[in-house]
Amino acid sequence: MTTPSPLLQVRDLRVDVGERNVLKSVSLDVAPGALVVLMGANGSGKSTLGLTLAGHPSYRAAAGQALFGGQDLLAMSAHERARAGLFVSFQAPPDIPGVKNNLFIRSALNAVREARGQEPLDAFDFLASARTAAQQLGLPEAMLGRPVNEGFSGGERKRNELLQLALLQPRLAVLDEIDSGMDVDGVRAVVQLVQRLRAQGTAFMVVSHYLHLIESLAPDAVLRLDQGCIAETGGLELARGIARTGFARTAEPVEA
Amino acid sequence: MDTARADTLAARDRLRMQGWITPRNESFRHLPPPGIDTWLPGPTDNAHPGCDASPLAGAGWTLHPVGSAPQGGVQARWLDALDPAQRTELFAGLPQPGNGDAAPFAWAHRALCRQGLRLRIGTTPGKSGPDQSPVWLQLRHQPRAEAEAPLLVLEVEDGVHCVLIETHEREAMQYGRGVAQNLHAHIRLGAGATLQHLRVAAPGPQDRMAHHVHAQLAPHARYEQALVATGSAYHLQRTTLDLHGHNTTARSAGLLLAAGTALEQQVHTQHHAAHTTSQVEALALVSGNARTVVNAHTRIAPGADEAAVRQRLTGIPLMGQPRLVLRPHLEIHHDKVQAAHGATWGALPEDALFYARQRGLDDASARALIVEGMAHALLERCIDHPTLLTTWLGSGWLARAIASHLAVTQEACHG
Repeated sequence: MTTPSPLLQVRDLRVDVGERNVLKSVSLDVAPGALVVLMGANGSGKSTLGLTLAGHPSYRAAAGQALFGGQDLLAMSAHERARAGLFVSFQAPPDIPGVKNNLFIRSALNAVREARGQEPLDAFDFLASARTAAQQLGLPEAMLGRPVNEGFSGGERKRNELLQLALLQPRLAVLDEIDSGMDVDGVRAVVQLVQRLRAQGTAFMVVSHYLHLIESLAPDAVLRLDQGCIAETGGLELARGIARTGFARTAEPVEA
Repeated sequence: MDTARADTLAARDRLRMQGWITPRNESFRHLPPPGIDTWLPGPTDNAHPGCDASPLAGAGWTLHPVGSAPQGGVQARWLDALDPAQRTELFAGLPQPGNGDAAPFAWAHRALCRQGLRLRIGTTPGKSGPDQSPVWLQLRHQPRAEAEAPLLVLEVEDGVHCVLIETHEREAMQYGRGVAQNLHAHIRLGAGATLQHLRVAAPGPQDRMAHHVHAQLAPHARYEQALVATGSAYHLQRTTLDLHGHNTTARSAGLLLAAGTALEQQVHTQHHAAHTTSQVEALALVSGNARTVVNAHTRIAPGADEAAVRQRLTGIPLMGQPRLVLRPHLEIHHDKVQAAHGATWGALPEDALFYARQRGLDDASARALIVEGMAHALLERCIDHPTLLTTWLGSGWLARAIASHLAVTQEACHG
């Protein structure tokens, strides 16, 4: 029996934001279809890792390597990473005034489809699938016709991220506190969508503080990030331990 | 000598005495207009070579109904300003140019004006009040001479709602030698009348264009003007909003696209009466060595109780080293008013750009999408009529104009 080669391989990644070093040395693997939970205290570098993988211009990889499907992820521009199948949800998705949500998502979807060698979706076909996905996520259909995230509540913004995730069907999704601002039904929708996409082969890296969500997701691994390093690796018992005692405990940094 | 000719000669004489706009003229000091010879050539210099249009071939204006909207209440008169009787009718009720900052343009217009269009928008016969649907019109203007001074007089009767799309576009094949156009439009809104006015002015790169729109509002009237303008060798869009009656509302939005060209928008608003509201907003997207000015001046006269004023000017330099001047200006002569103004000069929103890229859009597509969105949002904030914007935006003109603007910007960067 052979172990599938990792979809994402991160080795000794060091990241600076401006003059400040945030990630000291991070190494981790995510296999196709796997689900890894990333935990850590505020400021430990969880969002930094996600945004660095996404290619945010303010986050500079000063050392180390990240391979995505065997390709050098750090050498790609942000849109190339997305087209290669990397989706990063935002903790605070921004407004895009004047751009209708359905136009935005269809433009993104067709850019990704083009990269996959698929035909673009016309407005009619797109709208049909978008309506279905929105309904499954509890996002009112009217949100499709409104400007992206403008006037959306916190929960609606997160559901809108899930809508994009559902339609883009990436190879790896990094979900950064997707449950914050969500009601009970929203959290349930997250779990159902993640389970459905995992079954289709999408891998996940989920940043969350909430044990209930983590348990529902049945992760393959739980990592604890501390001061820019992976401090602990384990399973659900690690998440349960953190939920019991918090992050304020000492642990030697270890390789994932 | 006939009275029409006497009038034009008197205007020339007045202009000669008063002189052209000087570099010290406060309204024009950041982008001084070309000299008088541009706007008022000698009497024999302005025949358009190869133009066999009849003198009144629409006076440069063509009027088009939009869809199946009712046209029953529209009266249109194309008038020859060289005919004494028609000139009298054409200029009837219009103010004399006077001595203001822009008066030389107005005198030059009086001296050169050959044709004009008078439009009166009334109720559809047999219908009134709530049964009255908005009257939809489209006006197109094409230059007819190398130097011209078109005139439009538009009167909207009491209580009538009019939706007007006014376009000034030139096909690229027509550019050739640039034209000079000193256009004046006088708009009169009767009591309770509404005019939703979308104006598109896209001159050729060598054109010199000066449009002056004067709008006067009677009590309870409402005027919304959304302007989309591109730069040229010289392009001025000047609007004066006279909130003459109480409870009037005026909104102006200007979307200005200038890539290596000159473009100025001036909006002068006068609150003369109580309970009047005005909102002036502009978004200037500039690049290369463009010279762009947005000049918003609002005056609240004594006695304009509870007047509410808002000015919001935004400039975004996309590339190169454009010169961009944003001038919000309030002049308040009454105590009990609300007024806010601001100017912002900055880049496209980085967070939105990154968000779009993270979803798979390349840099150029992300920029185009966001710029187009900002433009839509600006126009939608001004004109409270989704069908008007949807109808016009559906033509794809704005998307093409923005794409072309960004392409020129990119070329300037890489070239």
